[in-house]
Amino acid sequence: MVTVTIHVNGESRTASVAPETTLLRLLRENFNLTGAKLGCDVGDCGACTVIVDGKLVNSCLMLAGQVDGRDVLTIEGLATMSRLHPIQKAFEDKGSLQCGFCGPGVIMATKALLDQNPDPTVHEIRDALAGNLCRCTGYTKMIEAIQTIARADAGSRQATAKSA
Amino acid sequence: MRAFEFVAARDSQHAVALLAQHAPSVRVIAGGTDLLADLKFSSHVPGVVVDISRADDLRTLAITDDGLSIGTLVTHTEIMRSPIIREMFPALVDAAHTIGAVQTRNLGTLGGNLVTAVPSMDSGPTLVALDARVTVAGPAGRRQMPLAEFFVGPRKTILKPDELLVDIIIPKENLGKPTHFLKFGLRKGQALALVNVAASFWVDWDKNTFVAPRVALGAVAPKVIHALEAEKYLEGRAITPEAMAEAGRIAVGDVKPINDFRASADYRRNLVAVLTRRALEGAYALAKAKREN
Amino acid sequence: MDTKAVVAEKTAALLDTEELLRAPSMAPLTNFPLDVLVPEADRQTPAVGQRATRPDARLHGLGQTKYIDDFYLPGMLFAKIKRAGIGSAKIISIDTSEAEAMPGVVAVITGRDVPVNSFGPSLKDQPVLADTRVFHAGDGVAAVAAVTEQIAAEALDKIKVEYEELTPVLDPLESLKLETPGIHAPSANIYGHKVIKKGDVEKGFAESYRIFEGSFRTQMVEHVPLEPHASVATWDANGRVTIYSTLGRITLGRADVARTLGIPMSKIRIVATIVGGNFGGKNEITTEPVVALLSKKTGRPVKCTFTRSEEFISSTTRHPLIMDYKTGVTKEGRILARQIRLVLDGGAYCSWSETTLGKACILSAGPYIIDNLYAEAFVVYTNKTMTGAMRGFGAPQVCFAYESHMDDIAKALNIDPLEIRLLNALREGSLSPTGQALHSVAVRESLLQAAERFGWNNGNGKGHGAGA
Repeated sequence: MVTVTIHVNGESRTASVAPETTLLRLLRENFNLTGAKLGCDVGDCGACTVIVDGKLVNSCLMLAGQVDGRDVLTIEGLATMSRLHPIQKAFEDKGSLQCGFCGPGVIMATKALLDQNPDPTVHEIRDALAGNLCRCTGYTKMIEAIQTIARADAGSRQATAKSA
Repeated sequence: MRAFEFVAARDSQHAVALLAQHAPSVRVIAGGTDLLADLKFSSHVPGVVVDISRADDLRTLAITDDGLSIGTLVTHTEIMRSPIIREMFPALVDAAHTIGAVQTRNLGTLGGNLVTAVPSMDSGPTLVALDARVTVAGPAGRRQMPLAEFFVGPRKTILKPDELLVDIIIPKENLGKPTHFLKFGLRKGQALALVNVAASFWVDWDKNTFVAPRVALGAVAPKVIHALEAEKYLEGRAITPEAMAEAGRIAVGDVKPINDFRASADYRRNLVAVLTRRALEGAYALAKAKREN
Repeated sequence: MDTKAVVAEKTAALLDTEELLRAPSMAPLTNFPLDVLVPEADRQTPAVGQRATRPDARLHGLGQTKYIDDFYLPGMLFAKIKRAGIGSAKIISIDTSEAEAMPGVVAVITGRDVPVNSFGPSLKDQPVLADTRVFHAGDGVAAVAAVTEQIAAEALDKIKVEYEELTPVLDPLESLKLETPGIHAPSANIYGHKVIKKGDVEKGFAESYRIFEGSFRTQMVEHVPLEPHASVATWDANGRVTIYSTLGRITLGRADVARTLGIPMSKIRIVATIVGGNFGGKNEITTEPVVALLSKKTGRPVKCTFTRSEEFISSTTRHPLIMDYKTGVTKEGRILARQIRLVLDGGAYCSWSETTLGKACILSAGPYIIDNLYAEAFVVYTNKTMTGAMRGFGAPQVCFAYESHMDDIAKALNIDPLEIRLLNALREGSLSPTGQALHSVAVRESLLQAAERFGWNNGNGKGHGAGA
């Protein structure tokens, strides 16, 4: 057994698990954070995507022992008690998700993208989402939603700059 | 996945000790993007998996007296973002960018890509074209060899179970050598290369000839290879579009592509000719652009 | 690089503009009632054209939607199914003793344990678990319930199956031949046949300026829903089973579970929740009877999820089609007669092949006025993955054929591909291949609108198209 402590969504959680346990199963089975999904288990579909120490990763490709002591952000950590994260809001407004299974992974990938690049081109958006497969939507409304956030961001940054 | 033990190495020395302790039923995990995919389908897993992801001395990236040293743990994302590599070897950036997707590039390491040694690996051709050497550490100490000799065949390198790839060195004389990498896959992302190629050469600006030309090809032989006949043809020859096209045709003779469900051998041969020419053109364009600055 | 500092800096930047705050790892309370846009219900307004928010969007975005695999019941066991791995064989014996003796394994079942080991939407040729014969590599031959998924998977290796391997039939055209040994039936592998006859094709061909022939093939396609098939079964003290499942057609599923388990439908409750993609692949039962039987045997809830491999080899796929077209036209390109032969690769079991056969046959003529038509379609068994329902049910395959064929004809006659279609397109009142008078026909209008959008007449027609 390995004992693993992760700082997930701002909270410290510890579990004692079999060494071959992946971060994905640790999140889903030990911490009841079922937002990250098992779609393929080999890092092809992106349904398991989370953010570890600020980096977007496939949680099915990390062993629990490798994540010990690290920061993990999952879909459950984006919204607050009273407010949706802007990405979640934009996806809702644009109707970007259908069956929703790829949703948590895509939203995390979007967060990682916008954290690095607040004003991505369509090409950059596609590149950022290349590791997240969606079989329902064709991605178009996800891209629209992301562009909406980028534009809104730019607008409010301008407003802040003006008032500064 | 079947059960195995997990131990974490503090640094490269500790890693070597752990490998020696647990060999032969031991595997190394760095980014895990190949290893875990492999183990999940396997009914035989190693007794122990040694995690080297925290061995920070394997993560260096710096110019040394030997040349550019890239630690085995440097990820594909880190390669894409490294100012040194972006400046000196945009081909390495291009190659890294063709690997998988953001998630796999954040986890996947250069060393891991080389050690897994699939013939269609994307990091191999550029490094082979640049005459890269690798350092291997084992119980008897460290040794170096050309990367081209590190690979033995599909999914096989010279590494023994108790050995570790430490770093990859692009020799001093090749720093800044104009190089271009191209990959042809059936998709733009998360695709295996049907053919990939790296072309590298210096230019003798007085005579406008190829100097030390290298063409390395992937996915068309059991391992990454030099297109030796094409290289011989180019050495000292005048740089013209015709010469580049001819080199592409000659390179076809250097390869043994397979027929599989992705493409026929004929199609791959066609790709080799075209992509070799384009890679040479790309390297030349880079050489000219550098000269102007 | 100090990752923590960079992350903190970026978070702080976001805080200014987006007021992002970290949340605790407990699931956040969702604001109920949801603030969603709903078209006005108490007024006589048309819903079409109004904005509305998907009711499930909120939970999807929060990652709070519970799919079947997110579901855990106390004491739940995990089931895995052993796959044959060979295309065609007789099962001589199955020895599960070593698996049953494994610590952590609670029960093992085989086809023998299934009260009625056959089901299917039309032909009941599919077993829950293969009993005496294996018809494709993805056939299940045994199932294990264990305390962890890992133990269940390892137990599969301990199950020893003795096979007498037979030669698989893989080519549908081979299957079509009467001499090929029957896969299911003792002779002939053709399990569906349909003929559509309209007018007199021979007369039409005789009057044609030119006759064109073309042969087209499409490949097997897998739905690849992001969510693998999954189900959980649990029994109550009154002998009623509840199955939570990714199944789409739950009424049909209930009938199939009733049949295979030999219990009345009134004792079966199937609960389907939000599914992570179906596209036709989750139209029939897969693991449901297995988990129900294992749950009954163990007295505990049992969950079974497909691996991604099983999605490819053990769930239904889209029928590959071999389509032979013969079309007689006038000099202007008007179709006088068309003769079609379709061969559907019907995989190892019938599944939804009869529906697919019917649709493919009726639609194979294309949206064109054809007075003389003969379309004959066969569906045959092969020892390959089951072919079943997938959006389109045969329509996409024949569309590829008749549109490619039309392009070939246009090119040969040097007629604009758009013009030849406008010439032949169905109109208001045209008769379908089966003699139905069609109304609200918009083929010409659609083509013309599309052509305008693509800029067809500005020279965007030559070469490659764009999608819209």
